[in-house]
Amino acid sequence: MNSNSLRIGIDIGGTFTDFVVYDPRLQALRTFKLLTTAADPAEAVLKGLRDLCGNRRIVHGSTVATNALLERKGAQTALITTRGFRDVLQIGRQNRPALYDLFSDPSAPLVSQTWRMEITERVDYRGTVLTSLARDELTGLVQRLREGAIESVAVSLLFSFLHPEHEQHIARHLREAGFFTSVSHEILPEYREYERTSTTVVNAYVSPILDRYLAKVEAALNISRTGSEIEQTADLRIMQSNGGSIRTSEARQSGVRCIVSGPAGGVVGAFHVAQLAASLKNPEALVNIIAFDMGGTSTDVSLCKGAIKSTSEATLAGLPIRIPIIDIHTVGAGGGSIASIDAGGALRVGPQSAGADPGPACYGHSLLATVTDANVVLGRLPGEYFLDGKMILDEDRSRTALTAIGQLIELNAVQTAQGVIEVVNTHMERALRVISVERGYDPADFTLVSFGGASGLHAVELARRLGMPTVLISPFASTLSAFGMLIANTVKDYSLTVMLRGDVSESEIDKRFDPLVDKGLHEIREDGFASDNNITIERTLDVRYQGQSFELNVPFTHDFQRDFHDAHQRAYGYARPGAVTEIVNVRVKVTGHETPPHLPIKEMESQDPSPAWIENRNVVFEMTESVPFYQGECLRPGNRLSGPAIIIRSDTTILLDHGDTASVDGYHNLIIQVSPSRQGGLI
Amino acid sequence: MSQISYDPIRLEVFKYLFAGIAEEMGVVLRKSAYSPNIKERRDYSCALFNGAGAMISQAAHIPVHLGSMPLSVAAVIEHASHSTTGIAPGDIFILNDPFRGGTHLPDITLVTPVFISNTPDAAPYSFVANRAHHSDVGGMMPGSMPVAREIFQEGLIIPPIKLVSRGEVNQAVMDLILANVRTPEERRGDLFAQMAANGRGASRLLEMVSRYGSNMVNSYMQGLLQYTERMVRHSLQNLPKGVYHFTDYMDDDGLGHQHIPITVAVTINADSAVVDFTGSAPQQQGSVNAVYAITLSAVYYVFRCMVGLDIPNNSACLAPITVIAPERSIVNAMPPSPVAGGNVETSQRIVDVLLGALAQAAPTIVPAASQGTMNNVTIGGWDSRHDKPFAYYETIGGGMGARPDRDGADAVHSHMTNTLNTPAEALEYSYPLRIERYEIRAATGGLGHFKGGSGIRRDVRVLVDAQVSLLTERRLSAPYGLDGGQPGAPGENRLIRNGVEQPLPAKGTIYLNANDILSIRTPGGGGFGEQDQTPTTVPSS
Repeated sequence: MNSNSLRIGIDIGGTFTDFVVYDPRLQALRTFKLLTTAADPAEAVLKGLRDLCGNRRIVHGSTVATNALLERKGAQTALITTRGFRDVLQIGRQNRPALYDLFSDPSAPLVSQTWRMEITERVDYRGTVLTSLARDELTGLVQRLREGAIESVAVSLLFSFLHPEHEQHIARHLREAGFFTSVSHEILPEYREYERTSTTVVNAYVSPILDRYLAKVEAALNISRTGSEIEQTADLRIMQSNGGSIRTSEARQSGVRCIVSGPAGGVVGAFHVAQLAASLKNPEALVNIIAFDMGGTSTDVSLCKGAIKSTSEATLAGLPIRIPIIDIHTVGAGGGSIASIDAGGALRVGPQSAGADPGPACYGHSLLATVTDANVVLGRLPGEYFLDGKMILDEDRSRTALTAIGQLIELNAVQTAQGVIEVVNTHMERALRVISVERGYDPADFTLVSFGGASGLHAVELARRLGMPTVLISPFASTLSAFGMLIANTVKDYSLTVMLRGDVSESEIDKRFDPLVDKGLHEIREDGFASDNNITIERTLDVRYQGQSFELNVPFTHDFQRDFHDAHQRAYGYARPGAVTEIVNVRVKVTGHETPPHLPIKEMESQDPSPAWIENRNVVFEMTESVPFYQGECLRPGNRLSGPAIIIRSDTTILLDHGDTASVDGYHNLIIQVSPSRQGGLI
Repeated sequence: MSQISYDPIRLEVFKYLFAGIAEEMGVVLRKSAYSPNIKERRDYSCALFNGAGAMISQAAHIPVHLGSMPLSVAAVIEHASHSTTGIAPGDIFILNDPFRGGTHLPDITLVTPVFISNTPDAAPYSFVANRAHHSDVGGMMPGSMPVAREIFQEGLIIPPIKLVSRGEVNQAVMDLILANVRTPEERRGDLFAQMAANGRGASRLLEMVSRYGSNMVNSYMQGLLQYTERMVRHSLQNLPKGVYHFTDYMDDDGLGHQHIPITVAVTINADSAVVDFTGSAPQQQGSVNAVYAITLSAVYYVFRCMVGLDIPNNSACLAPITVIAPERSIVNAMPPSPVAGGNVETSQRIVDVLLGALAQAAPTIVPAASQGTMNNVTIGGWDSRHDKPFAYYETIGGGMGARPDRDGADAVHSHMTNTLNTPAEALEYSYPLRIERYEIRAATGGLGHFKGGSGIRRDVRVLVDAQVSLLTERRLSAPYGLDGGQPGAPGENRLIRNGVEQPLPAKGTIYLNANDILSIRTPGGGGFGEQDQTPTTVPSS
């Protein structure tokens, strides 16, 4: 890549396709949004790229794979598995999704029984072949696949991660016959057959769809290149769920790695802006953040202690996907969540959402009382300022909707609105506690990085409830996912189940790591990272006490056993230093570091924010008060404000309560110092 | 009951806070436990109680523990009331006695009192408790799920006693327990995990008290009980008043007594119900007896499903419902009856009869019978690979009954359990066993306008000589269909030795040679509605 290339991050959301563009020659960042073209997402992407000429390095977060899975519009897929095990994909773990709902069923498998096919072979837990592969059965299988117009085939055999030869043979055969082939020991060489098979099948199901989409985008980019008079190149890359990007040629083979690329971009972006902000004071500072992205229908939260954290326990649409994914916890509550009174007389918020259509009452198309309406009634979201005045909120409708709900519990509209905020904040607080306190982290050690349209009105109160001292809101909070993609490194994950006793020699463990590291280095060099200076290799181990079933991931060092005991103590409140440990998986993460864009630091100006002041309006806290409103875009570095105050921006609205103070730093971040909790305060 | 008025907002807030405590306890237990039953299969429950022992919240883990957890706390309170050592801060009680707060012996419950005052005579402010199914608690068979004649054969009986006293582990108790079980290291690990789970629950509750104050927390514990009762009464009003009868049968008790009736009369009143099991069989010689706690849990489960609303799991769910279970009957057994299968098998049949009765009241929301068994299989012996004994316990899913508007699901656990399977690869790492087949048993669901779900076939090869305990049901009787739907296919147990199949009983102990295959084939669910006639066979009038 040319170091003068334009760098572009593109995130396709439900409503908008976001573009963030960095021009290294001008050292300038700009963002813009186009309406998403849902029927053909490539349309908006290509339209946005049309005006961005020259050499370009594009990282694209794609919802194509996600939507193919959620809408069940993937490729015609078959599965080949060990004889006797074709139904593992359907049986799953044999549990049902809801205990007390006689009408809820497990998610249907992506491959129907007709296309779950068996082949004679068997390998045991030591990797020993018990029954050799019946190669002669392959011809018949391929014949059936052809007749059934199957496009894509997943291959998942028992213990294939210990003896990949059988899968390799089948894959070779299928690839020669022209099928897209997804192979379990390549996608996820880890034990537990259902989870591995499920991940491999999801990959087979979504990859051909992603492949077609990328072929189209690449073709269009190439056409525009030949049609243009200026010589230009486009290096198109795809964002993965692990927070790093890969080449399109890899993404087209492993679509499952790109399933949650949008939210992953958000966390990468949040972590980076927090790092930049911290570096203003101390370049060595360890950055601990909780990313908080509250949207219309759901809220994503993610904890990063010094680094972005991955999980291998993800489930999407009821299907396990066990490749490393940025650890993001999602709850179904957001600005559009609907308030109601249940049969027992409690005020509920969600899980139903008004979405964008019909939307909250104040959008003018419904009388659904939502969280957004509650904020409107409390004066925190003034109708005429919403989205830069492009959309006027109907305050009367909000009041009518909340009055109707309130009558059922003998509260007026304002009291009901306060209740709605209280209840939705409880949902959010729970989500934040799940990823912090429940996992042994003290929220007081973390900064809440708030983004997403609905976050700003709730972030400071949530930080207060959790004892978090600081909230950070970036100037491009609403395009943080696309920004995260723009800055994303190239990241490759490798793993292998080894099942070793924890007290084996380090050289024994090294031996298991070596092939993974070699493979990673080879692949990252193919990606253009020639110098070892910008490549890092992380070796980690999944460890447990022998006899347990859940592992904790710790770095592979001389002290990994001690680190494991510490991690166990932190996670579960006890450790057993004398007990035998077991290394279940070895993991290697290879990162090729991109040079982050250089963002200039602005000079500090006056502390006085009054040039940004718009007017004072009535806002309800515990009682109604006159509160200053500021135009966020007019605040200058160095400005300081104290609560109560409301900051209006075109992408979000930020609420400061009594005692909270905020300042604008050299990157235009709003840094809010949160005043400590009021004892027992509920509203 | 006096109805104080509660703030509808705080009611909702506290509902989440209380539920969160129980859920977080569950995460700690599951992730740090040793027994495959706990960690892989999630056979455990966690709950929070007020100072009087009323259950305030329970994480939605296993229905069979629902009605029974409050009885564990009641047993601890009762024990402490006439013990000289009483209840003090830092104590943790342990119990598994089915006749004193337990359900069956492998389910070990730990109860921790939570104090907010340090004065010497202070009463507990609250209790937290968790129950987990341990892989072995001694007795005549590995896995402690035998077909026995009396409870003493089923394993070690632990009445409510202190495992931890004022913060110190009572080593004598611990040693006594570990000396009586086949896999003591695993037991020790599980008990640590259980203590840690209660510890987490207690500290979360104390944080809540310091944030909101003890009076407010206490008052909303009460408020949520009243709220839940209102919800249940409200939904009972939607059922037509009347008395509905149903009888179904257990196959056998494992000792030759067959066709054991369980009968129920459900009376629906304006906003309450009476569930009367009078007429059910007396307690049996074999291990199919349910203690009262199990029967309560089954009633609780069924009404919880009928309510159809998202309500907290607490003691008030049962407040509008009177349960009559005659003493010394199969639904309210007395010592020294063996009870291992009451929890896992009889509980399923109790659900079948309750749903059969309620189908008459609410035909549009009640499904046909599901597989009606948990297919309990325990395999034990000597693991020569690791030179130590092993005990593997598994329950196997089957067909779900067809619903009034759709087919039943294939190959899932239904009703009183929802435990996961052990992955074939995990099993082979841990035990000298090998899975040969794991598949859906085709066409075993009952036919009908909507079809019942199909059962499972799971074939396990033993690689060493081993003993097997089977506690299975619906091998003779079939899961019923409704509204003209056909019954599901009964299950079958088979031994495959040198390629030759032979039948095995529904319940009993079998000795296997190395390389034998145990093949368990689970029942299908019942169908719903008359099967559609093809146009050519429509009879002319």
